[in-house]
Amino acid sequence: MTEMTLVQAVNRGLHEAMKGDPDVLVLGEDVGVDGGVFRATEGLIKEFGPDRVIDTPLSECGIVGTAIGMALYGLKPVAEIQFLDFIYPAFDQIVSELAKFRFRSGGQYPCHVVVRAPYGGGIKGGLYHSQSTEAYFCHTAGLKVAIPSTPADAKGLLLSAIHDEDPVIFLEPKRIYRAVSGEVPDGDHRVPFGSARTVVPGDDVSIFAYGAMVPVATEAAEALRGEGISAEVVDLRTLVPLDEATVLASVEKTGRAVVVHEAARFCGFGAELSAILAEKAFYSLKAPIARVTGFDTPFPYALENVYLPNAARVAHAARATVRSG
Amino acid sequence: MANAVSPPSAPLDSGATPLSAEQRLSFYRTMVLSRAIDERCLSLQRQGRIGFYVPASGQEGAQIGCAAALEPDDWIFPAYREIGLALWRGIPFRTLLDQFIGNAEDIMKGRQMPNHYGFRDKNFVVASSPIGTQITQAVGAAMAIQRRKAATVTATFFGDGATSSNDFHAGMNFAGVFRTPTIFFCQNNQWAISLPRERQTRSSTLAQKAEAYGFPGVVVDGTDVDAVYRAVRSARERAVRGEGPTLIEAQVYRYGPHSTSDDPRRYRADEELQAWKRRDPILRLKELLLSSGQWTEAKDAALLDEVRAQIAQAIEAAEAVPPVAPATLFEDTFARRTPQLEEEKAAFERLVQEGVIRP
Amino acid sequence: MAYEFRLPDIGEGVAEGEIVQWFVREGEAIREDAPLVSVLTDKANVEIPSPKTGRVVRLHAAVGEKVKVGGLLVTIDTGSAGTGAAPPAPLSAPARGSPAPSATPSTAPAPAGPAAPASSSPPDRILASPFVRRRAAELGVDLSRVRGSGPAGRILESDLPAGAVPIPAAPVAPTAPARTATAPARSEGPDSITRIPIRGIRRVIAEHMTESKHKAAHFTYVEEIDVSELVRLRDRMAPHVEKQGVRLSYLPFIVKAVVQGLREQPNLNATVDDEHGELWVHSAYQIGIAVAGPEGLIVPVVRNADTKSVLLLAREIQGLAERGREGKLTRAELTGSTFTITSLGALGGVLATPIINYPEVGILGVHKIVRRPVYRSDGSIGPADLMNLSISVDHRMLDGIVAAQFLAVVKANLEDPHRLFADMA
Repeated sequence: MTEMTLVQAVNRGLHEAMKGDPDVLVLGEDVGVDGGVFRATEGLIKEFGPDRVIDTPLSECGIVGTAIGMALYGLKPVAEIQFLDFIYPAFDQIVSELAKFRFRSGGQYPCHVVVRAPYGGGIKGGLYHSQSTEAYFCHTAGLKVAIPSTPADAKGLLLSAIHDEDPVIFLEPKRIYRAVSGEVPDGDHRVPFGSARTVVPGDDVSIFAYGAMVPVATEAAEALRGEGISAEVVDLRTLVPLDEATVLASVEKTGRAVVVHEAARFCGFGAELSAILAEKAFYSLKAPIARVTGFDTPFPYALENVYLPNAARVAHAARATVRSG
Repeated sequence: MANAVSPPSAPLDSGATPLSAEQRLSFYRTMVLSRAIDERCLSLQRQGRIGFYVPASGQEGAQIGCAAALEPDDWIFPAYREIGLALWRGIPFRTLLDQFIGNAEDIMKGRQMPNHYGFRDKNFVVASSPIGTQITQAVGAAMAIQRRKAATVTATFFGDGATSSNDFHAGMNFAGVFRTPTIFFCQNNQWAISLPRERQTRSSTLAQKAEAYGFPGVVVDGTDVDAVYRAVRSARERAVRGEGPTLIEAQVYRYGPHSTSDDPRRYRADEELQAWKRRDPILRLKELLLSSGQWTEAKDAALLDEVRAQIAQAIEAAEAVPPVAPATLFEDTFARRTPQLEEEKAAFERLVQEGVIRP
Repeated sequence: MAYEFRLPDIGEGVAEGEIVQWFVREGEAIREDAPLVSVLTDKANVEIPSPKTGRVVRLHAAVGEKVKVGGLLVTIDTGSAGTGAAPPAPLSAPARGSPAPSATPSTAPAPAGPAAPASSSPPDRILASPFVRRRAAELGVDLSRVRGSGPAGRILESDLPAGAVPIPAAPVAPTAPARTATAPARSEGPDSITRIPIRGIRRVIAEHMTESKHKAAHFTYVEEIDVSELVRLRDRMAPHVEKQGVRLSYLPFIVKAVVQGLREQPNLNATVDDEHGELWVHSAYQIGIAVAGPEGLIVPVVRNADTKSVLLLAREIQGLAERGREGKLTRAELTGSTFTITSLGALGGVLATPIINYPEVGILGVHKIVRRPVYRSDGSIGPADLMNLSISVDHRMLDGIVAAQFLAVVKANLEDPHRLFADMA
């Protein structure tokens, strides 16, 4: 166990994977000499050389397209997109190619690429350094989507992603890259995909969150406890595959659900989660499902503090849910 | 006019190509087979026996010449108009037809439109429909070859339209930066559906675009199978020597429609087509073979009969294969089904059992 | 009120129809679904039934005339707006296939007991979450009778009556399968099988019995009761009671004795919540009485049996039994019991192993009274009226001793029935 920040844990995860398997390599903009704009790849080029820590030209479709070619040929590339907001030139490669290779070839061509990208608001990043568009990827069959909320999960989920057989979109909550630190197991620590984590157990209402919203939900649960409301906080950890069993068991117990994400509400991941609860936990619901999300506007710069869900909004929604039935 | 790269029906310059008579004959046989398949598949589509078809007639010289110049270990990243390459790589027509029909023996399991196939054991990567996406992938695979220090190359295939795509530029740029062993093989067939080559780019050739990325680009007469073979062979040797990529622009003409969903009479003149047909790649090779005494009209007629019989036989066999099994839908999205997919598969099977979904 | 019926779109692409025949004349009454008119379209000759019950005011097209789809065919006075013009519709027509209320295994909830605050006019729309609706259905609670304490009157889980218990079906099924009723008297020739679908009430009973046997750990205990005194008491009371139109059986006394027993053993007046691992001990004595219904045993409930006199109990049980036989019991009368008594009738037997009316935890089987010689305490031998009682309890929840102690109290009260009258509060 070593105490470290989330971004350090990402770095340690990459290091662990590269140390263990010469086919693992990292590519992206400024990932080498500079160590990444968030320093997630810091020091890797020194240890593994420029052939395995590749500074690429400024082209996201080039980064993901070449990563796909490498993966088809047998390497295990981890591509970094500097901000999730800049992934769209690579969208065609991710959605049309990466996600479909195995299927469209009848299983002949698995295509295992990990695409890492910092996502989310809270760093005064405005429209183009703040977005949380995980739902696009969740909606694409063939992609797995993982979002850690703790340093230990950052390393554990990343190592699972790199050793997975399928393409993984690995989204890192940059707002808490350094804001949280925690104990991280040494060595090849892996957190299995599809296993949600109950952060805080509770009986009255279930709060579902992921990434940077997990600490927000946890803070809300603490505030609610003072009011006699016992809130359960569940960190989904991977959106695809989703740990439905844990989600449903929680709502079957509490009868109430609040879904939190910083992405815009309409067609966000919360919509899917709400639909699953409506389909499968309907007769356990004592109150309507509440969503606490970003607003359906582009992400604002000066107003990001009011755009992003905070503990007060989450607690407010949970309280209303508990009072309503 | 950029299209006129050589005079109609000029004799092939055989002297400079170290090709044996036997090699040329096998080129010819494959080109004839490719053309015959094209013609038959267009009619199968009109009869509703296959859903769609992308013809390659007119491009056989470029395709076979290029395919022959590559080694079996070289990886092909094709577009969807590469039947000549597939046949040269040894993929039987029957296997392609299974894919066109989407029957139970289709290796792609009935998932892709006709002509979107791939065969891992032949290093023939599976094609997709978006234009140009295979180009960056070929460069990435070439980077992997560099890492593996293998004496092989990747070759990627695309048309004149793809030179406007993001991936063309990204791929060319990455290849130049990393000096990858990649052959960019552009079959400039003059038309991107309805858009003529002149409207695709102001560049006087497509090949010259390589210069901006720091590596050579060459124009070759794609109706001259020998010339194509030579150009690709030399690009391959450069790549294996570690000297980096080459862009080859093979100038050809698409005789048929872009696909069976298209009617080229809406946008181009028949005179243009007839002019290109006068220097048809198959015709030119046949004339060379006849004039050198390696071939006779009688043998030619027999070859055509044989090829047509072979095609008919394959059609009969492929059409007798049952349709792809519905439950295969739930294979290969992931290595293992997620719980959600397991649930959907079970629900699907119930609906099939209850007759709500009728495969 | 006049209803205008227009030619409907009766087939793909049909644009008009020719009137072939009217089955009614102006001024005549017509019932819904009775033949109204025959129309010839370019596809078929179609008989159109009346969409309404009422009096035919006007036929808008003569035979041979063509009417476009959407064109007016007939005006029917449905009389519903109180115009007084329409004769009453012949509503006395047999209600085909409409099942007796109690025979419908519907999920319609019913009031569960006195804890449910009854509202005289149920609200149009019930506000309750899916969870509360599910609980209410499980408990047999009619949500229209529950006042919600949540926002905008929403019914919360805590608003559901405490005495509510899951919907019961019949406890014991001593009658032979219906098949014997149609079986030939003598078995000759090849076997012929009458296949009787297990449907409706029978199916509910079947499922309920299985559930009970599957979940409850049945323990049965039998006691012999000397009811000589009770027989004398009943015989004295009967003429008096019968003047009031009520037949007096032994059941009202047994109900009273059972209440005494339950008071001593409160955990027997209970229901199990297996899902949450709880035993719900009820304060109200809602005694289910198994009676024969048209399709099988049903269990109407005598509410708050502890507050009712023998006469009242007799009247109520008689009414429930009669209406049960006629299949007229309402859902409300069939739900919410906390302990069940099943009288095994004139045949009565010696011993039974009654199946608990799950999720209750106890059921009492009452056997016939027989006169036998007995040794009295003074050593003499004399006639006595003896009756056996068989009780089954859920041994998961209760030990056998509870059943024994309960029956001891019942026995004491029935052997000395005057005690029953001490408890009239």
